[in-house]
Amino acid sequence: MTDEPTRERLVAARSSPAVEQTRRRSAALFAILTAASTGRRERSDAREELVHLHLPLVEHCARRFQNRGEPLEDLVQVGTIGLLKAVDRFDRERGVEFSTYATPTIIGEIKRHFRDRGWAIHVPRRLQELRMQIGSVSTTLTQSLGRSPTPRELAGEIGCTVEEIIEALDSSNAYATLSLDAEDGVDAPGSILAALGIDDDSLEHVEIRESIKPLLDALGDREKTILMLRFFRNMTQSQIAAEVGISQMHVSRLLTRTLAALRHALERD
Amino acid sequence: MPQTGRGALSDRPDAELRLPAEGAYVSVLRTTAAGLAARLDFTLEDVEDLRMAVGEAAAIVLETASPATELRARFWLGGRTMTVTVDAPSDGTATIDVDSFAWQVLTSLATSARVSGRDERLAITVALEAAPLEAAR
Repeated sequence: MTDEPTRERLVAARSSPAVEQTRRRSAALFAILTAASTGRRERSDAREELVHLHLPLVEHCARRFQNRGEPLEDLVQVGTIGLLKAVDRFDRERGVEFSTYATPTIIGEIKRHFRDRGWAIHVPRRLQELRMQIGSVSTTLTQSLGRSPTPRELAGEIGCTVEEIIEALDSSNAYATLSLDAEDGVDAPGSILAALGIDDDSLEHVEIRESIKPLLDALGDREKTILMLRFFRNMTQSQIAAEVGISQMHVSRLLTRTLAALRHALERD
Repeated sequence: MPQTGRGALSDRPDAELRLPAEGAYVSVLRTTAAGLAARLDFTLEDVEDLRMAVGEAAAIVLETASPATELRARFWLGGRTMTVTVDAPSDGTATIDVDSFAWQVLTSLATSARVSGRDERLAITVALEAAPLEAAR
């Protein structure tokens, strides 16, 4: 779907022949899209091609927000929603290039995603940076120590205080304040316990298995793998990180999120 | 039933936290638990495991907590062990389903987990023994 050379072209000089070609194709497609004579089928094809044509732009925008705690693929997805909106709202009469018009819409959508789904508590930039530093240093330390590092070891390596490390670690959880906790308790008293059996023991097992199964199936492959490695194979977060190829902090965050999502879904039933 | 594996805890915990028995406050409890564990020089991994275990324990306790009451968390800080008891007044319907998802998560994360308390007060105690700090290899 993603045409590698196209992205290069877009990022590179704006006036290159390739960009010119994209521009012309885009204009032609918009002409089709807006023409009164265009049939429904044709229109939807044109729309689809326009979206594909500008996906590299979405990726480019999404990349600018990388390393802020949200996976790139999610950012590309919400950015694509922005692109769709831009395609539908674009007015050729205004005489601006579509890419010029679409970029703020795409970025707006990505920013909104951060507002909605990102940090539940505003975290100062200093802490966000430290948190990232902790991520990379703890990966290195985990390798050299053969286990996950302590906050003291991290502080020594980074050159800050243990207090700052603890503060930064807490801030990485500011991200998840809503998920695990907000749904618990008062509003739905005893939901899990109430939902799960009073009947026969083995029947109870079936019910748990059956109610969790679709929830597990709905998880992404990576989340499923992490959950399985942690709770069925009893692997540590560092071991999982090595196996899956992401950082231990990322494993921790994914675990927290996945558990929260499962809890949430279970309580919904 | 899982056991704590250690003797009776002292009457006087090293730290105690009281919060409204509402889900929204669980994050404060989790953060406190993590902060204490970090100061005991637990590894990041153990800190995170404890954070999650305490969160699950609180969630279970809150499920049967009477409205407008207090959630209490008591922390005992051992050399390499941290024991946390979370309790709240219960509406009397408290039964712990050891097969439930939350309980499974909790027992996987903690070194030991135990339910205590009578009808009117449900308590869950989790203990986490930190991994030794010598290099694993």
